[in-house]
Amino acid sequence: MKDISHLLRVAGIFVLVVAGFLVVRHFMVPKSFGEVGHYRADAVDEIRALKQHYSGDAACPACHKGQSQEKAQGGHRGVRCESCHGALQEHVEQPKSVKPGKPKESEMRSFCGRCHEKSLSKPPKFPQQNLKEHNPGIACDQCHPAHKPQ
Amino acid sequence: MNPINRRQFLKTAALTFLAFAGRALAAPLAAAEKFFHEPPWRRKKPYWGYAVDITKCIGCGRCADACKTENEIPREPFYFRTWVERYILRRSGEVAVDSPNGGIDGYPPPRDPESIAQSFFVPKLCNHCEHSPCEQVCPVGATFKTEDGVVLVDRKYCIGCRYCIQACPYGCRYFHPTLQVADKCTLCYHRIKNGKRPACVENCPTGARMFGDLSDPEGALTKFRESERTQVLKPHMGTEPKLVYKGLDKEVR
Repeated sequence: MKDISHLLRVAGIFVLVVAGFLVVRHFMVPKSFGEVGHYRADAVDEIRALKQHYSGDAACPACHKGQSQEKAQGGHRGVRCESCHGALQEHVEQPKSVKPGKPKESEMRSFCGRCHEKSLSKPPKFPQQNLKEHNPGIACDQCHPAHKPQ
Repeated sequence: MNPINRRQFLKTAALTFLAFAGRALAAPLAAAEKFFHEPPWRRKKPYWGYAVDITKCIGCGRCADACKTENEIPREPFYFRTWVERYILRRSGEVAVDSPNGGIDGYPPPRDPESIAQSFFVPKLCNHCEHSPCEQVCPVGATFKTEDGVVLVDRKYCIGCRYCIQACPYGCRYFHPTLQVADKCTLCYHRIKNGKRPACVENCPTGARMFGDLSDPEGALTKFRESERTQVLKPHMGTEPKLVYKGLDKEVR
């Protein structure tokens, strides 16, 4: 017995170190880590639960039927409502208290020009106008109704 | 019957072993071969992908603007999950690339049109690589690829070492100034899991940005990838992006 006591001491230390490692590991590795892969599975649900700001077009026609139908017939049929009116998830949830914005009359030329100002960087087929020459000072929607532009 | 000598015995035994081992290993090797060469969207459903049609982009920047709103990204420049670059290829051979405020404020028309051979816009965002360098270098497993192919960052677990920002060959990561973690495009994971499209796709007025399920053989994105000639950025890096471009010029990096 005397001959192996030094071995037992080393074995005891080894067991303690492994036990200590397991205890520390238990507290350091977060819950759900490694359930699916080398990551915290709960993180997927956390990211999934983040707040949405843009609603999408599906909600609009329920209240704004006329504008939706009008838009579906014109050149802006592929443009989503929120592209011009801004993020409207809150408006969908509280239609009375949160009102959507729309471009001001005075800012209309620069607002529409963001897409339609003539530039050789744009695809040639896309409708473009040189805003300095094209009826300066007149708001775009005087001739081109925004929901159904000609 | 002739007694066989040692050499003959060993030879016969080795050949018999090889014949059996070859047959036993053939099936698992074929399965492994299939696993590594077959795209993951053949066995996982859904599996999200993205496509950009450069020939349709007008550089309006609605995508980059919508992304900042949807994901609550700080408004000041340099923090972008997606942005639009303008390439100007001059007749002299010079190539100029600019992206003022990520394209959010639009692009004034180029000043010297005579010298320009070609100009176009290139929207950029996370490529959601199949073999993503950012995921591989993360020392704690805070960057990961979900079962549906989206590369995400675990904000609670990221230690902010910025290694992934260095590793991304596409410059698609940045350090979030208020949360103090690495941040990147999530393909609007909170939207797509609720049946909606990413905010940038939702707000693109020309349909230059497309999002869809690669595992759906009838899906619009699959049809687009089959009918159009597309290319990925930096194919030599072996990252296998799930973002493809139509109309990509060789100058685009």
